[in-house]
Amino acid sequence: MAPDSYNPVNHRAVEVLVSKLRRRQVIGSREAALETVRVLRQVVSKARFSNIDQLVNLIRSVGKRLVEAQPKGNTVRKILHHIREEYNTAINGVASTSSKPVFSISNFVLQGQPRKQSVALKSEGSMTLKENDPDDPDSFARGLKPVLMEAIQDVLDELETVYDTVSKNAKDHIHSDEIILTIGYSKTVEAFLKAAAHSRNYTVIVAETGPSYSGHEMARALSSAGISTFLVPDSSIYAIMSRVNKVILGAHAILANGGMFAITGSLLAATAARVHSTPVAVCAGQFKLTPLWNLYHEFGALDFADPSSVLGFEEGNLVDKVDVMNPYYDYVGPELVDVFITNDGDHPPSSVYRLIKETYDDDDHEL
Amino acid sequence: MPSSSSIPPNAPNSDSRPPLKLQKELTKAERRELQERQRAAKLASKGGAAPSGSMAKSTPKPGAQAPATSAAPKRGRRPSESAPRAPAVAPGRAAKDAKIAVPSTLEPSPGNARSLRIFSHFGLPKTVSVAKGDIHPAILRLALQFSNFKITGANARCIATLTAFKTVIQDYATPPNNTLSRHLMTHLSPQISHLVAARPMSVTMGNAIRQLKLEISGSDIDLPEQDSRSSVVEKVLLGAHSEGRTFSVIVVDSRPMLEGKRLLSVLAEAGIQCTYMLLPSLGAVITEVSMVLVGAHSIHSNGAVYSRAGTALVAMLAKQHSIPVVVCCETYKFSEGVQLDSFTKNELAPLGDQFASFPLTKPRESLTLNNGPHLEILNPLYDLTPPTSITAVVTEVGVIPPNSISSIPLALGRLL
Repeated sequence: MAPDSYNPVNHRAVEVLVSKLRRRQVIGSREAALETVRVLRQVVSKARFSNIDQLVNLIRSVGKRLVEAQPKGNTVRKILHHIREEYNTAINGVASTSSKPVFSISNFVLQGQPRKQSVALKSEGSMTLKENDPDDPDSFARGLKPVLMEAIQDVLDELETVYDTVSKNAKDHIHSDEIILTIGYSKTVEAFLKAAAHSRNYTVIVAETGPSYSGHEMARALSSAGISTFLVPDSSIYAIMSRVNKVILGAHAILANGGMFAITGSLLAATAARVHSTPVAVCAGQFKLTPLWNLYHEFGALDFADPSSVLGFEEGNLVDKVDVMNPYYDYVGPELVDVFITNDGDHPPSSVYRLIKETYDDDDHEL
Repeated sequence: MPSSSSIPPNAPNSDSRPPLKLQKELTKAERRELQERQRAAKLASKGGAAPSGSMAKSTPKPGAQAPATSAAPKRGRRPSESAPRAPAVAPGRAAKDAKIAVPSTLEPSPGNARSLRIFSHFGLPKTVSVAKGDIHPAILRLALQFSNFKITGANARCIATLTAFKTVIQDYATPPNNTLSRHLMTHLSPQISHLVAARPMSVTMGNAIRQLKLEISGSDIDLPEQDSRSSVVEKVLLGAHSEGRTFSVIVVDSRPMLEGKRLLSVLAEAGIQCTYMLLPSLGAVITEVSMVLVGAHSIHSNGAVYSRAGTALVAMLAKQHSIPVVVCCETYKFSEGVQLDSFTKNELAPLGDQFASFPLTKPRESLTLNNGPHLEILNPLYDLTPPTSITAVVTEVGVIPPNSISSIPLALGRLL
């Protein structure tokens, strides 16, 4: 049911991205987001549409394909949101400001997009956009496209600077002589810790997390930046937790209920920290927010990986008789996290739902 | 940001320090010399700084008496204690240059990598020193096996120790003009010290040796016979399976020792349905587990369990999901005294053959991570599970709750 302006060129670009995601050739969620935005930019620039709904449907169909490859269509949703915003401002000329904001819970729930009034005016004056013009079906598209490309470029810029914005307040969170515990390898956490190391002197304990042992790269990266680092196996997380001042984790996805998916081992670290009353901070870019909240009920969301890294084939006689499990992600509930440090500021898990309302449109929750 | 307290953590090592002696042992004189040199260097750079030179921290020495726990190190002040009991004491990592951690009042001496002093009392496993005096060859062999981790596990070590001592005593002949009991004790002491120098003594060994000495002084030498048993948990599971109970086992394993693989092969051979996973994946399956079974190295009188690293995490997670945690432990593993956290007494695994414990799917180059100027690799072997995470302790005298542990030795009539 793709609209007939479904360009074969777009089709190819999307297919390439889908197969890359499926084969996990795109490493890191930021990379995936960047690639998605680039592909969507291509799609939008080449698309031909006469009214906004066609464009939206086009992008949604692309998004559906991407979501099948990797169940997190956040960037698609974000772009749709921006597109709708731009469209609304273009149509209405001046952005409509609501009356004096009334702060009550019911308003937040009813309003939907409370940020609408603060949209910057990108289009000058009032553009006359005629939808479904029978004579000139492309006029609508032509008029709207530059604005859309700018909006998409904004998203791209935000994605590219996410590490810097997250680490802006790093030195407020970390003090001298602290011992920080982290798990595995997250680029956001690495940037955060390196930024704090410029002005603070502290120690980091990295738990290599099996079976990916990504903690080794993290330890190497941090120690080459001059931060004293200790590498420990995950079995000793509880043992050293009594000396740790803070736990800083990276996230793969932040769910709407304030919980998150993170690399395996994060649940152990967060639970041990809770037992010792140690604060847990999570560094993540805003693009990791997802409006789905019940993913943790799905066992498959844990993204099982190759079992031979747990029990290799060299243990030949065991391989038949034994089941091996190798989940890639852990679900960490909202009660175990104290703060989410994002490029948009610091938020407690209880207000994640508000962020989601502001960033995404309600209709896009189901792509 | 006041610049006086911002320390460049990665300035190069100042030249006056000697190379780090991690594996070799410093004698007391060398240690003192090192301290003096560092103190002088610090005085020179600061002019009357607070006294905190390099501290020689001796590794904890649980001897035949009640284990003397070393004081938990506070940051910045460390008493320079040296209480040599065993003839060769390796100060371990403390010989590394210490950095003053007093914040913002002193100008720290530039250019030394910050070592994490809270771990410094663990010490690295030492190579076996030159034997002083005549040590029986059985003890020598045993010490070598301990220090290379060829014999691991509390039971195994204790049994091996007692067997070795059996040989020693059999070969022993009382020299003339000496009473048996007294001379045998003095004969055994250097052997025991040699073993302790190879690897800190386990509580089981301590208890056994104490019992042995008691027997000797009571002049009736009769070593308790131990039939060689494998790990307790393994026995429990095999026993239950042979009784016809149907159950499935999830074996959770973790570095550095990856001992679960042995258990896995034994159980799989016996035909028990098994699943194998690494420790971080535990969160995915914990909701489907009906009981957690762990072994112990020793149990303290408050019910805290001192066992292989990782046990505390498993017990904590299980308790959160209201799953019973059962510890299988014989009564001779009970230790008097209370240990508060995993730092008071612990060991580090040797860095030796790392590749064995990593899966083959990882490329070798990414694994060659050695201790760099700012990087250290630690592999603590043990951890302490608090009594609140434990539901019950199964011993040969029954199933008891963790807070009744202190009354058991008395009830059994032992004077431990």
